[in-house]
Amino acid sequence: MKKVLLSLALVASAQAFAADELHLYNWNNYLSDATAKRFEAYCKCKLVQDYYGDNEEMLAKLAAGAKGYDIVVPTGFAVEALVKQGKAQPLDKKQLTALGNIDPGYMNGFFDKGNVYSVPYSFTTTLLGYNETQLKKAGVLDKANSWALIFDPAVLGKIKGKVTVLDSQRELMSAALMYLGKPANTTNPADWNAARDVILKAKPYWAAFNNQSYIKELTVGNIYVAFGYSNDMFQAQQDAKKAKRPFTLNFSLQKEGNTLSLDNFVVLKDAPRKDLAYKFINFMLDGKNAADLTNEMGSGNPNKAAKPFVKPEIAKVAAIFPGASDVGRLQQLRDLTAKDRRELNKVWSQVKLK
Amino acid sequence: MTLQQRIGKWVLSWPPLVYMVLFFLVPTLIMVVAAFRYPGDYGGLAPMYSVEDGKVVWDLTLENFQRLTEDALYFDLFIKSAGYALATTLACILMAYPLAWLIARSPKRYRDLMLLLVILPFWSNFLIRIYAWMIILGPQSAFTRAVNWLVTGLGFEPIQLLFTPFAVIVGMVYVHLPFMVLPLYANLEKHDMALLDAAQDLGANAWQRFWRVTWPLSLPGVFAGSALVFIPALGMFAIPDILGGTDSIMIGNLIKQQILDTRDWPFGSVLSIMLTGGVLLIAALGAAVARGGRKRG
Repeated sequence: MKKVLLSLALVASAQAFAADELHLYNWNNYLSDATAKRFEAYCKCKLVQDYYGDNEEMLAKLAAGAKGYDIVVPTGFAVEALVKQGKAQPLDKKQLTALGNIDPGYMNGFFDKGNVYSVPYSFTTTLLGYNETQLKKAGVLDKANSWALIFDPAVLGKIKGKVTVLDSQRELMSAALMYLGKPANTTNPADWNAARDVILKAKPYWAAFNNQSYIKELTVGNIYVAFGYSNDMFQAQQDAKKAKRPFTLNFSLQKEGNTLSLDNFVVLKDAPRKDLAYKFINFMLDGKNAADLTNEMGSGNPNKAAKPFVKPEIAKVAAIFPGASDVGRLQQLRDLTAKDRRELNKVWSQVKLK
Repeated sequence: MTLQQRIGKWVLSWPPLVYMVLFFLVPTLIMVVAAFRYPGDYGGLAPMYSVEDGKVVWDLTLENFQRLTEDALYFDLFIKSAGYALATTLACILMAYPLAWLIARSPKRYRDLMLLLVILPFWSNFLIRIYAWMIILGPQSAFTRAVNWLVTGLGFEPIQLLFTPFAVIVGMVYVHLPFMVLPLYANLEKHDMALLDAAQDLGANAWQRFWRVTWPLSLPGVFAGSALVFIPALGMFAIPDILGGTDSIMIGNLIKQQILDTRDWPFGSVLSIMLTGGVLLIAALGAAVARGGRKRG
């Protein structure tokens, strides 16, 4: 009996403790420490974070029955998956007083019309980062605003072996599709084959498919052009500056269009503390709090109110704050059906193996 | 054998047996079943059957196997991977043999220390060591610059080392070398030196003594080391990912891509089964050759 009482007491105290905890299941390194501390002080609660490295990992963990998380931060297509699986809680808009701070261009995504379930938080664009000094020397700096820099053999001939591209079938195929003027989300096999042919012609000029080390390769000057994510390029640029390298790194959007990965706050249906979840989302909608991540990591920011708090040299970068004319050219990738995914996979095998 | 002895044997051998059944046989069977199923929407597998009007409808397919034959690409990749693994194994034999010989012929008190030095690299993480090769082979390293100084001195164009098949083989040899040294050492250490003296007395020169005495006797060690190097090298994916260029992927990369990136577990399973089958075939061949060798000896 004593034991039962003791364990009951333990459970009760755990409950009491949980009363002041918000559980955020977030991407690695996707919330500034300063912001987290400020939120804890503001809500007089504890913010507990758990991390994932990609959407599939998060979906798989939730599908396997993980409980206790209040908020997750999925990319567009993963929001759709959570909604379809009945895991997302419809949001009570009356409680989200600062929702108007989000740029309307990022609302109403294909994955959640009317933002019933999700609030945009942050995004990355997939683009080209480059060594300005070396491209100028090679005489191809004027091509950096176009996908031709990594797909046109005439341009590539001048920077052979100095280019790496993401080892991601959706991202690389999308870039080739946009270079050809096709929509990134096409499922037309003829378009895919055309994109494959573009890639196969360019491939002999590339050094490698590289997801892991392009930041470092750019920073030390081994590679002149890398196809990758905007926040990585920002980091490479800052690192090179800090290390006082004898060259400048830069990154920019491509005129044919880029893909955009928008990450969103979603409250889970079985969230233990929905009240704290709303408090957190409102807190993050505030411009000053929303600006922290952009200032630290150069992540794209859908929050209009954040702009005054962002360092001016960052605020003017189109890849971080796309202008009105750029937003129209940014495309979000949709999830493919199992059948389309398999067809694309076959095309991708030819890209990788030929 | 008495009943007691027989029971004793079973009692002793069931833990490893259960372990093998649980962690090799069961996963292999799951993989075989998965190879006949459809992929699920968010990774994983689609349900194996559905119930319609009270009747069970099976959702199984041969499509995953047909895909292998649709395109010669996959077969070519198997051949290429086997080529990488073979090159790695041969390089390991060439490098490990003299080293194992040296250790086996050293004074006894130094041998443990030398063996320790061989396995010392295992004390640091595998990926860290591969990343270190990225730096060594990178265009700005002292090594690469020295190589290119030599190459251009001879009147050739400067070459790139990182992101080439050469880099992949260097990485694989580096990682697998100890697996070749240890079985070779275990074998060479047991050789009876009197045999070499006898061969010398009978007029055999150094080469003949090696080729007709030491080498045939060391073959079991060579086979064991080759199996320990060839098999893991065949399924390698991390090294081609990190050190390889656009044309140096292996079968392991393709399997990893099916499971993690494109969420096509069934096709990944088909490829894995082919790889496992290939490895078993090679192991069986190796065992047959080794048995034949022993009979002759």
